[in-house]
Amino acid sequence: MATTDPPLSFLDPGDTAQAQSIAILHLKRDLLMPTRLQEQDELNEGYDEGKVTNTRFGSFPHSTLIGQSWGSQIRASAVDTGSRGRRPKNDKKRKRDEDENTDSNAPTPKTAVAASTGFVHLLPPTPETWTSSLPHRTQVVYTPDYSYILHRLRVRPGTVLIEAGAGSGSFTHASARAVYDGLPGDEVKAEGASSKKKQKKGKIYSYEFHEQRVGKLKTELYEHGLDGLVEITHRDVCNEGFMVRKTESSDLNAKKNDEPKAEAIFLDLPAPWLALRHLTRNSMSSKFLDAAAGSSNPQSPAPGGDLPPPAPTSAPEGDLSFHSPLNPKATIRICTFSPCMEQVQRTISTMRQLGWVEIEMVEVQHKRLEVRRERVGLHEEGLRGVTAMPASVDEAVSRLREVEGRFRSFHGKNTGADGSEDASGANATESKEGTPASTPATYVSKQQRQQSIRDSLADRKVFKEGRLVHRTEPEIRTHTSYLVFALLPREWTAEDEARCQKKWPIKEPRQPAKNKDQKARSGKDIEVDAGGRDVTQETQAANGQPISRRQMKKLERAKAKNAEREKEKAAESEQAATEPTVEDAGAAKADAAGKNVEEPESMVE
Amino acid sequence: MHSSIKPYSYLALRLPSETLKIVQLVPNAVISIGKYGTFQANHLLGRPYNLTYEIVDDIKSQQHGGLRVVPASELHAEVLADGTATPTVEGEEDRPETGEEYEVVGEDGEVIMRTNRQTIDDPTSQKMTFEEIEALKKEGSGAGKDLIAKLLSSHSAIDQKTAFSLAKYTLRKTRKYARRFTVLPLDIPLFTEWLLAEKEPMRSLDLRDELIGLIGSWANIRCSASEPQVLEDGISKVGGGRWLVVDETGGLIVAAMAERLGILYPPEEDDSDSDSESEEPENPAPTTTAAATGNSASTTATQEAINDDVDMTAPEPAEAPSASAPASAPAPSRQPHHHHHHHPVPQSATRNTLTLLHANAQPNLSLLKYFLFDASTPSPSHPLHDHLKMLSWLQLLSPEDDNGYTEPERVPDDIIKTWKSGKRGTYFRKRRRWERIRAVVDETRAGGFDGLIVASVMNPVTILQHTLPLLRGAAQVVVYSPTVEPLTELADCFSTARRTAFVTMQAEATMDDQSISKDDFPINPTLLLAPSIQTSRVREYQVLPGRTHPLMTSRGNSEGYVFTGTRVLPAEGKVEARGKNKRRKLVGERSSETPA
Repeated sequence: MATTDPPLSFLDPGDTAQAQSIAILHLKRDLLMPTRLQEQDELNEGYDEGKVTNTRFGSFPHSTLIGQSWGSQIRASAVDTGSRGRRPKNDKKRKRDEDENTDSNAPTPKTAVAASTGFVHLLPPTPETWTSSLPHRTQVVYTPDYSYILHRLRVRPGTVLIEAGAGSGSFTHASARAVYDGLPGDEVKAEGASSKKKQKKGKIYSYEFHEQRVGKLKTELYEHGLDGLVEITHRDVCNEGFMVRKTESSDLNAKKNDEPKAEAIFLDLPAPWLALRHLTRNSMSSKFLDAAAGSSNPQSPAPGGDLPPPAPTSAPEGDLSFHSPLNPKATIRICTFSPCMEQVQRTISTMRQLGWVEIEMVEVQHKRLEVRRERVGLHEEGLRGVTAMPASVDEAVSRLREVEGRFRSFHGKNTGADGSEDASGANATESKEGTPASTPATYVSKQQRQQSIRDSLADRKVFKEGRLVHRTEPEIRTHTSYLVFALLPREWTAEDEARCQKKWPIKEPRQPAKNKDQKARSGKDIEVDAGGRDVTQETQAANGQPISRRQMKKLERAKAKNAEREKEKAAESEQAATEPTVEDAGAAKADAAGKNVEEPESMVE
Repeated sequence: MHSSIKPYSYLALRLPSETLKIVQLVPNAVISIGKYGTFQANHLLGRPYNLTYEIVDDIKSQQHGGLRVVPASELHAEVLADGTATPTVEGEEDRPETGEEYEVVGEDGEVIMRTNRQTIDDPTSQKMTFEEIEALKKEGSGAGKDLIAKLLSSHSAIDQKTAFSLAKYTLRKTRKYARRFTVLPLDIPLFTEWLLAEKEPMRSLDLRDELIGLIGSWANIRCSASEPQVLEDGISKVGGGRWLVVDETGGLIVAAMAERLGILYPPEEDDSDSDSESEEPENPAPTTTAAATGNSASTTATQEAINDDVDMTAPEPAEAPSASAPASAPAPSRQPHHHHHHHPVPQSATRNTLTLLHANAQPNLSLLKYFLFDASTPSPSHPLHDHLKMLSWLQLLSPEDDNGYTEPERVPDDIIKTWKSGKRGTYFRKRRRWERIRAVVDETRAGGFDGLIVASVMNPVTILQHTLPLLRGAAQVVVYSPTVEPLTELADCFSTARRTAFVTMQAEATMDDQSISKDDFPINPTLLLAPSIQTSRVREYQVLPGRTHPLMTSRGNSEGYVFTGTRVLPAEGKVEARGKNKRRKLVGERSSETPA
């Protein structure tokens, strides 16, 4: 990596914070501040300490951050922020420029002095912290959604992913982490271009039709060191498709290099059904595509459905000029992200017509919980964040008695001055002797009571008191978007099938007698198997045989299987009854291997 | 990965009844899917995943006709046909003569929806008897489609059904009689689905996909391309993509995290490119895979012995192979299986590793067998062989008490030479085992891990007590629990009030840690930043023309919660938060301005 390139702060932050890397200053929960660490103040903001980031918890010169271990708690510095503003700005700048020209081009910053209060935590950026701190340009795909989407799309190290509608880049960052298995290009240096094919590296092809957002995202990705991993293109994919470069040349090989060969697709577009036409394995007639995209619930146009009809691709069936952006050898998985039901319906209808299968629509419902200690009781009176109500019926009754007694004494019914009871509210377990006869003579005012509560607070361990409770955080995102998942299996031609049949020939057809046996057996298994459970075990149970005989049966079968293999050449009809099913063969194998770990069946028993 | 079906791999079949069945594809074996029929494994080997097949065997002639790929257009046929004539389509021309059955009528007399007002609930409306159905099944051609058509035509009240109920009826019959199945690759999302639906979900702590997704994301699991940094002392390491795992789900967490690190699946030979062009790698693949998965007890055991022996004679640690990226690991199928020299020492990888802490003498990783990994006799070609490290809590906390950690007696070479080969093998195997355990234990105790992932039935407070110090600064901590209570207790250990009290006491204690009681502060509350608990659940919808709604039922059981936090390095000495009110600080609670 060249020294000028920013470090890969997201994927490989290293031990300590380095200059040029992105750092997240953690101020408090949900208040994160991303900043790019710089040794020099490029903007010449005029701080004596060089580059400074100001937060509500103090000022942090970058010289106090660079070189620190990630995760460190950093004290704020006493930075003179006031006088800087009072100085005439232009003068200052000009003066600085002169200084830089005359001096060594690097004014030595003043050493920062720690302030008495204020701190932050210095964190390396992660897609999660970035998602909650990034500059919003569009609706953001949040962690609960993107984590589920990437999981379901099987995005793993080495996956090639197409993302359309890059937006603010939260999904881009998360998927870059998921596909990362070394930067593309690394292997070219190491082993030469010839072996490039084998060293397939994960990559993101990202598209965005908003030019300004593309520019900002490009800058971000460069600063984050991800520009080698994410190729961002300014493009309206609904009209122009997903080929990486729009090469005009007729050279087919050149075109081939422009195929992303993606295995996973994420569409965060207003009209995903329009983009689907470009995500086919073969060229489809534009007529069919228009029909497909235009169909479904014509009476319910979705937002974005008013887009102009796309220009016909003019590619007749089987046209050589057609290039699919999809990996021809892989199952393609797609996810579309649409907030409205109408969009979902049109998308799914188009998917069905284009041959996508396993179509599924879900929404992710996520919430965060708040944990706190709920302190209830009269002994909490006057404190903050508590409920100063009686904690129990007993407490309520004793308080009522006390009030009652006070009322009586006020009206002169109190006879003696022998009341010895301490009426401090802090004493929650008041005895039952608090009868009217022995009401306190020494009246404790509310203020006095609360003061004594406050005084006793220093000795209490309030963090252990009360009941530990949890509840949903005050604000929840009840709806983000509907997620439509689907997949496109690999195309399987007759030639492929013929090749596989040659490689894995089918054994001779079974004897009639045997098949009847098999049929009879599986007939018995009907209910069992429809439940998807283990056939062998259930059959034994059905036969009233103890499960403990399993091992014996397995051994028998393993023997029979070996015998059968020999006999099969002679085409005997006898061996039929011992035809191994897959479970049997697998079990026999495991048995023979003498594994001392438990069988999966026995694990769940 | 999963580009085509490999011999001996485990895969899932989705049956018409929507149940999943996991089978291992042993070449030449016959696979039975119960009432739906049987087929040969060779019909699937080498084929791509995610296709739907139909068993076209002709029972009458007792011929295994094989499988037919059902194209997507056929799978969607009913819905697509439905979509054009959906009952919600308005307009007079769609109204048949029997218009009186349309019940929901708009203001202008326009028919909106047909209802079931006229239908008679009569279980005898299906005129076919059980015997007739059974007879037809025996004849069975056309993969059950004929039968379903017959069933529909012999339903006496079929014309009374609304379009929706007809669709439902057809679907029900299809599920019962269609002889179709879909072949699915056994990856983590599918595996989870299977565990939840078919196995005992409590065994895997009710883990759902959305929670696994959250765990992986918050743990910041990622492939690491660089080696860990060795600190000044020369022992401690930081980073390198090393994660500490406490997994009591039978291996599901390990598998899910390994998938994200790219170390779950054994490398496939020339996955995507040369597979179809070259025909030569036919024979070696099945044999070695068989050996790798442990075809017979004796050979595996001796292999292990030989392996140990050989490794011992070459004492330098096999750094080089393990350093190469998992994706570029040498293709195992090319090597005859008794040449294990080049395989790395077990559990010796230096980066992209998972270190599993287990509570029993042996870890329970039984679920990993579906990914062709056996923890007790790991196949050297499996990436987990050297990337998954395992040690018990005893080995972590008190290694001297563990027999495996104590060095076996060292014997001079000239004495060893006089030994019989069996005794020599045992000696070297013991030495190897000890060296492996020592390396793993020492590395783990030195700490510097990039993160901690816990899915355990143990009290998470006790787990974090011992593991939090082993994490590097900014490492992510993720604790999963099927129920919320253990996590609220854990979060309470890091509550603002507790941390404030701790910091105050620490400042007053001055070098005397004794005054800070373990009871009040089981874990140093300043070591974890922003502890939070979250949960997530997906809601699935049916999307059909005119019939879009959330599914009527879904699984309940444990909700599943994820605790996250970031390990931080508190500054030396007392650090005071800014914006804190003096009086309120005295009160000692609700320091809302404290950076949390």
